[in-house]
This record gives sequence, structure tokens and C-alpha cells, in this order.
Amino acid sequence: MSGALPGDPPGNPDERDALAGEYVLGTLDARDAARVTAALANDTALRQAVAAWERRLAPLSALAVPQAPPEGLWQRIEAALAPVAARPAPRRLGIWQFWAIGATLAAAAFAGVAYVPRAPAPRMMAVLVTGQSQPAFAAEVMPSGGLHLAAMTSMAGTRPQAPAGRQWELWGQAPGAAAPTSLGMIPMHGSTVNIATPAVQPQKNMLIMISVEPPGGSPTGQPSGPVVFFGRLMPAGNT
Amino acid sequence: MATGAGGAEAEGLGALLVRVAAGDRAALRAVYVRQSTRLFGIAMAILRDRSAAADVMQDAFLRVWQRAGQFDAGRGDASVWLSSIVRYAALDVARRRGREMPSDDPDLGDRPVDADALDLLAAAEDGARLRACLDRLEPNNRQGIVLAFVHGLSHPEIAARLALPLGTVKSWIRRGLMSLRECMS
Repeated sequence: MSGALPGDPPGNPDERDALAGEYVLGTLDARDAARVTAALANDTALRQAVAAWERRLAPLSALAVPQAPPEGLWQRIEAALAPVAARPAPRRLGIWQFWAIGATLAAAAFAGVAYVPRAPAPRMMAVLVTGQSQPAFAAEVMPSGGLHLAAMTSMAGTRPQAPAGRQWELWGQAPGAAAPTSLGMIPMHGSTVNIATPAVQPQKNMLIMISVEPPGGSPTGQPSGPVVFFGRLMPAGNT
Repeated sequence: MATGAGGAEAEGLGALLVRVAAGDRAALRAVYVRQSTRLFGIAMAILRDRSAAADVMQDAFLRVWQRAGQFDAGRGDASVWLSSIVRYAALDVARRRGREMPSDDPDLGDRPVDADALDLLAAAEDGARLRACLDRLEPNNRQGIVLAFVHGLSHPEIAARLALPLGTVKSWIRRGLMSLRECMS
């Protein structure tokens, strides 16, 4: 048995198979589930045990009642894929939206209060993972509204690096938005970087992505290379 | 191994994933058209929140897009592979929010484990054997396993729901899994 999990009795196949079963069943807490996820990358036997449990229990999925997803979900997914098509024309604001904005401003003016654009935001964090669910970056919303990125060291002791001659670009997609918006290039010297995001207020449930782009950024205004890391901003402290 | 659920349909799905791995977006869309209703149902059973389930679907399809190359059509069933990705993504969200959803939600009911629901299981290909093995477990144990797998309930939530001590639930579920493994081998 290769790569015993930290904290597990070494060489106890029954214990490990039970752990794999509970992982698939979903009853492990966040810490134990993350440990199993991390171990899967390098542990063939554990991977096989998990796959066997997935096969055994899969028929239970038939008990979940099928439901049509919300309209427009495919468009959201497609927009996050690395579209090559031109950016869609900006949506025109309807008269009611103008009315609503005008009414809000008028109300603020009438009340004679200063318009405060940003309420104090709760701490918001995301763990950006690779396609193999390996954590690569921690992203935290800074009090100024920008993002603080910290590269995480992998189990193999390496830090994520952009391919030679390419750069990373950071993207944010608000919940329900049809397409991601560029938050800027990631100038990675050392292991942390702060990125100001004047155009976008990072918010809860925003999908944060990092794509591989030519130097200077995507020529299309949308991710043009593969999205290599992604995660969702969530209020910190309730993991 | 013989491909499980779906026969020709599942084979088609495996072939689509091979195209997805080569970067074919039309193939990913075809996977979405075929599977999104089933997969959204799986996410909804765990999260019971359409907006959170939609976010999970988006994350899951991004993973499918990136990881389709890891799917081995010779060894696995494409629909199982897809539902696993959606379940793990939904479980991560449920854990992050502390699984704060009320476990006395009437939608959970006892429906998933009543006779009609288990008939659904028997109707699914490969489901008959699992059903026969689940039938050999004690009812509370069977219900705990279904509540965990289908509705993403944690050990403490299952304990609260079945009005049993936490330690009892943990060891029962573990024993239940081991007995399922033996019964299905």
C-alpha cells in the first residue's frame, strides 16, 4: 500500500477502504475529505478503492429527483470555458433600469447623505484549485477591494508557475454573470501578490479563475488559454 | 468491465468525453444537454438551493472540461464519473457552509427510503443488487446511508434526524458500508 495518509494506521487496508467508502458517501468532515482528495493524486490504491465505492453506490443517485437547471446556465458555463468568440455586445439598460438608478441617486440626494459606494465587506476568501482539485492559490479580498493572492506549496514542495513565455491572467465572474471580467495580469515575483481590481468589486460566490495567456493578456477580452486554477469566494471562517 | 448504467447511451457519453478531452466544446454541450437535468437533481438533493446548485454545476462542468482526459472509458462508467464530480462539488459547498440546511426539512421526508423510492433503485441498471444488499441492513442503517449519499447529510445531522447517539451512527454507517461491500463482492 503506497502513501499512507497522515494520521491513519499504516498498512491497515480495511481502515483505508472504510475511509474511501466514507469519502464517497460524503460523511467525512471538511478536513478529512480534503486529506483524502490530496492523497488521491499520488495513491493508486486509494484511487482504486474510491472508484470501487463510486461504482457500488452510484445507483443511489437514481433517488435524487431529476430537475431542469435554470435557464442560461449553459451560457454561463460556456463563457467560463475560454471562449474564442468576440465579447458579446454589452446589454442595453432598459428604461426601467435607468429609472431605478435615477430614483436611487435622487433618493440619496434628497436624504442629503453622502453616497457610500462600499460598505465594510466581510472577509472573503477562495482557494483556487487545479483541475485535479489540488490547491494552488489562496485568494483573499483586501479591505481596499482588490485581491491578495498567495501561492500554496504543493505536497511535492513546488509552487505553481506559469509556462515559459506565458503569463497568468486573473478573472472574476459574478454569480449569474454571463461572462468573466478580467481582473488584470498576475505579476508573480515571490509567493504573494496584491492585485487592485478597480473595475470589479469582488463579492460572495464570485468565481475567480486564472488562465494562461500570451504576454500582456488575452487578446479577446475573455480567457483565450486554458483556465488552470479556479475557486469561489466565500465568507472566511465557516469552513 | 461491462459498462454499467445505460448501455448504448452510456457508451455514447464515454465517446463524447473523449471528444471533450480533445477540446471539443460542442461535445461538452452535448454532455450538458443529456445529463444536466439528472446532475442538477443530484446537486439539488444535497443543497436544496437552486442558486448554489447552479454554481456547483458550473464548477463541475469546468472540471469536466479540464479533466475529461482522465476519464478512462475502458474502466469506468461515464455517468458515474459525471455524477461523482457533481456530488463532490456539492458536498464541498455543503461543508463550507457548515451544512447549515435544516435537516428537518420536510422535503427530505422519509420518501428516499420508502418502498417506492427503493423500487426506483431496483429499476436502475446495476441497482437491483445494491437494493438487495441494502435490504439486508437494519432500516435505520439503510436510511442513514441513503440520507448521507443522496442528501449529503453529515454524521451529526443523521444522528439528529434518527434520534440516535452520534457514536452509534458513525459505527453503524461504517459497519453498513462494510456489509454492503461484502454483499456486493
